[in-house]
Amino acid sequence: MTPIAKRLAGHLARGFVMILVVATISFFIINNIPGDPMAARFEELIEQGASPEAAAQSVKVLYGFQPDGSMWQQYLDYMAGLFRLDLGQSVTRPGTPVLDVLLEKAKWTVLPVLIGTLVSFLVGIILGVYAAIKRTGKLGDALAISGSLLHGIPQYVLAMLLVVIFATLIPILPADGPVDILFEPGFNAGYIGSLAEHAVLPVVTYALSAYGGWILAMKSSVVTVLGDDFILAAELRGMKRSIVFRYIARNAILPLFTILALSLGLLMGGAVFIEKIFNYPGLGLLLIDSVNERDYATMGGAFLLITGAIIIANIVADLFYTVIDPRVRSGEESA
Amino acid sequence: MPEQAPGVRIDGLTVVYKTAAGELPAVRDISLTLEPGTITGIVGESGSGKSTLALSLLNAVQPPGRIAAGSVEIDGLGDVVGLRGEELRKARGRHVGYVFQAAQNSLNPLKTVGKQLLDLGRSHGVEDLRGLVREAKELLGRMGLDGARVLDSHQHELSGGMRQRVGIMLALVLNAHLVVLDEPTTALDMITQANILKIVREVHAERGLTTLVITHDIGVVAEVADRLAVMYGGRLVEQGPTREVLGAPSHPYTRGLIKAIPRLVGDIDEAQALPGRPPTLTSVPDQGCVFRDRCPLRMDVCDTVDPAAVPLGSRIVACHAVNVKEHA
Repeated sequence: MTPIAKRLAGHLARGFVMILVVATISFFIINNIPGDPMAARFEELIEQGASPEAAAQSVKVLYGFQPDGSMWQQYLDYMAGLFRLDLGQSVTRPGTPVLDVLLEKAKWTVLPVLIGTLVSFLVGIILGVYAAIKRTGKLGDALAISGSLLHGIPQYVLAMLLVVIFATLIPILPADGPVDILFEPGFNAGYIGSLAEHAVLPVVTYALSAYGGWILAMKSSVVTVLGDDFILAAELRGMKRSIVFRYIARNAILPLFTILALSLGLLMGGAVFIEKIFNYPGLGLLLIDSVNERDYATMGGAFLLITGAIIIANIVADLFYTVIDPRVRSGEESA
Repeated sequence: MPEQAPGVRIDGLTVVYKTAAGELPAVRDISLTLEPGTITGIVGESGSGKSTLALSLLNAVQPPGRIAAGSVEIDGLGDVVGLRGEELRKARGRHVGYVFQAAQNSLNPLKTVGKQLLDLGRSHGVEDLRGLVREAKELLGRMGLDGARVLDSHQHELSGGMRQRVGIMLALVLNAHLVVLDEPTTALDMITQANILKIVREVHAERGLTTLVITHDIGVVAEVADRLAVMYGGRLVEQGPTREVLGAPSHPYTRGLIKAIPRLVGDIDEAQALPGRPPTLTSVPDQGCVFRDRCPLRMDVCDTVDPAAVPLGSRIVACHAVNVKEHA
């Protein structure tokens, strides 16, 4: 087996175990939470005049497992379901598998956050290099201050500010959902255009709120690399500025990839406030709604999705390092 | 491009560092001539200003330091203190090769040595990159390394001694004839140290270089240098032919240094450490002799007047006591 394949196999095995652990923990937490949703539903049905048998049957259909079976039996049922990608059924959407709900909502979260994160990452690291190199000058100060400021503003404040400015005061951008309902969904110019138009404000919000973190992280990373001996050595060998610049940038960006991977994993959780403000029916809203509505099956599913995404992001980040950092690569070869 | 060893004349060089207490001199009024084709060794304790002096040769004193006065004339280049921008960049590497301390990481950890060699070639407009690689392999082979393998390696795959030879290769591959080696053997084991010094001597002779070796190790200087300059507290206190200076040191500091070296034979107690400690940037006295606090020959005049560097036979010594004795 090649070193990278070996590494990948190890990661996948560990990731698999972690997902099982998270599923177990969330199962027991949900089942021991005060206000047992199954008991509550069961009693609700009895009050509505259903027979205990019918009520139990109905609850079983709703949750996908036997509410009056032993906890151990329920747990085994739940885990067995997981292996078939069966996360149970949504409580508030009877008959709809949780997985379908999650996938349907994910598209409204993943794309805007992904684009916002990548844009802010690119802009943040490029400006971060300048902020570090010009750190004693006015430009460096201005960049660092812009970073701290944007980093300090809560995301939802930023979102509301953008809505007030660009949707209310100067109404040039929509903030009323993910797409104009007039357009027929599908691959046509009107629909796609409307999607893009509606995505501008949320994406800008994500990008602006993440930008501060990137520029500050990159700045400090560059400052560290600038103090490294090989940069002075390259200058004393008369290396061109552009080449020295590349040496600095490539070395400084390395530690940031971990943060990028983690934040891409976290994006699965969605941003509750942002989705609320822009009326995006994404995962963040779904999570909040499922908590409010005691839709524990959906909640458990959402937790699993977030965990899985972070684990996968970590694996991707780690494999990425073996590609871009020769020290990691050869460490693996000799291991 | 000079095809023969250039001479270097450092005159009245003063380098200051900006601190909270104002600008303090790390190198003060140093004059030193490197004759073409010679190896000069500069010895001094940590903080004596020797690395700052070495960086001055490339006009590369790092902020918050700056060259406050003096000149560094290099044959074929002129006064490097006046060089700026592209002119300065091109002089570095092409004219003056700089070799870093072995323990320092002077290579980009993410790129192979070969790729960095190509970066170097492109930086200096080398058109025949294949020729450059050939030259590099030859130099590495000359130093006992497998050139092809080394060029294909990353820094972390090389030992300290190998890295040092790579550093020497990178300093010479553009055909620089003035080479500055800053602590070339520090942090290397004895065998590797001896090897590197042998290489320095041989390459120096073969390629006809002017070489400056900076070290805190008198043994290194004794091994390779034709001339020796002793630094203390940012001043050059004594310079002259290595054998003479080591055989019959004039300056009380040089004498103390040599007395402090333990001998292979005889009683270990014969080696006597210099009492006191060397001055730091902030504790260097701003008038009088920098060495007076530790000096066995201290006189009244030492407190107020900085001793001038005075020729004394084949050497130059900056000490009131020695001058008085000579002229008495």
